[in-house]
Amino acid sequence: MASDELSYATIRDIGARFRRRALSPVELTRALLERIERLDPGLHTFVTVTADRALADAKAAETALGRGDFSSPLLGIPVGYKDIYATRGILTTGGSALLADWIPTEDATCVTRLQRGGAVMLGKLITHEFAFGIQFPGHRFAAAKNPWDLERMPGGSSSGSGAALAAGLAFGALGSDTGGSIRGPASFCGIVGLKPTYGRCSRAGVLTLSWTLDHTGPMARTVEDCAYLLQALAGHDAADPAASRELVPDYVAPLGRGVRGLRVGVVREYFFEGIDPEVEKGFEQALATLRQLGATVEDVQIPGIQAAGAYTAILLAEAFAYHEHDLREHPERFGEIVRERMLAGALITASEYVQAQRLRAQLRADMNAVLRRVDVLATPTSPKPAPTFTTVYDPEYGFPRGNTGPFNMTGLPALAVPCGFTAAGLPLSIQITGRPFDETTVLRVGHTYEQATSWRTRHPNL
Amino acid sequence: MTLEELRDRMKAARVEIAENRLELVRRLLTDALRPIHAMDSRKHRTLEPAVTFDAGRPRGDHGQ
Repeated sequence: MASDELSYATIRDIGARFRRRALSPVELTRALLERIERLDPGLHTFVTVTADRALADAKAAETALGRGDFSSPLLGIPVGYKDIYATRGILTTGGSALLADWIPTEDATCVTRLQRGGAVMLGKLITHEFAFGIQFPGHRFAAAKNPWDLERMPGGSSSGSGAALAAGLAFGALGSDTGGSIRGPASFCGIVGLKPTYGRCSRAGVLTLSWTLDHTGPMARTVEDCAYLLQALAGHDAADPAASRELVPDYVAPLGRGVRGLRVGVVREYFFEGIDPEVEKGFEQALATLRQLGATVEDVQIPGIQAAGAYTAILLAEAFAYHEHDLREHPERFGEIVRERMLAGALITASEYVQAQRLRAQLRADMNAVLRRVDVLATPTSPKPAPTFTTVYDPEYGFPRGNTGPFNMTGLPALAVPCGFTAAGLPLSIQITGRPFDETTVLRVGHTYEQATSWRTRHPNL
Repeated sequence: MTLEELRDRMKAARVEIAENRLELVRRLLTDALRPIHAMDSRKHRTLEPAVTFDAGRPRGDHGQ
């Protein structure tokens, strides 16, 4: 059985243990599989546990390490994949009854890249239905629970990824983010999630929700672990038309450079509307820490920020366009929430969709102008801590407006980092956003803050 | 958006939504469309390209 100390170790620490032969990938993988078997029935983070595959991957990693191959920091590191990433020969459901028996014949590019780095595949992690609709009780795929409070949501749609990391069931995970589906679960589960720049990581082989807003990216328990994962994931992919040819820098080496002299812009309009007082307090304390670390923190204004709400129109229209055939032919195979949301996309006119894209272009220009004056933007990741299932299952519960969607509109890299806890013990999170393809600075700010605090050392009582 | 307008849009789009969920969908669309209906489209550029080419790059462009 994996001890908490081992289960919550960092990727760097695990690699060091491998190198000095204090731990082997097979031992680690067996320990995690046992932990998953023990804890996951109460958390529902995995749809499919690929135990045989995991042990085979671990054995291969062990052989490589035995040859003295220490070239990849991910060699022998157990990870999980959100169940919208295609995995060759392994069930990939998208959380949907429509795909309940789908066995892809190819891997998603991101899966291939982590496997090339030697990562061990533990299995597939539960997702909200088609990365969009929460699962009501009775849904074919049970909703994941938040390890910090089992009565609360872990966020979504990368719900299993966030919850599994918080529970010490994996060392890294892949999520996807169309409006906050990496950063939301990171915020609610007290872990780290990065939505990279649009085009930085391939979406090939990942189920589409809204193709102009969809991003793939890493989730982990520390910023450095996210950087290791991003290093393996980033880069051009001919199979994704949006993939950039921008050069991939070293994401890990600059992490220790600190924040002295960096300018942090705080956006208060839009991002503080309806904010929970404890979220605001935690965020202000995080800003104070960044100041103490030498950053300059100032309020900034983004003129077009109120237009960010048009994000929902783009999402709904594109989601309907993508799923229209199945929605018309097999409506009963969608959960009622996801079906209603997607059908709402059919009611948006062509003109409204075009105008939403024009507002988006203006917002992108406004944000880029502000990011010429400051190095990063800071906001609370979510205006409220994790809600209870009772709250979200209320038939009157609407589509929540979050603080993450504006950066899907603009495609900028955005990182969620833990920044404290509420009095009830629920995680809080700060969102750091940077210039296009400047993940390096975003990660550096997040890492410097993280290392100056002790939030990462707290774990849920399971 | 009124419920009547919502029903008109459903009819035009050949979409059916349960009667007891219409108010929720109305609220969802009202929020989504508020900034769009508030915009003065004459103040926005209409020069967005369908494609961009950058001679300094071997192929494609990230568009930022």
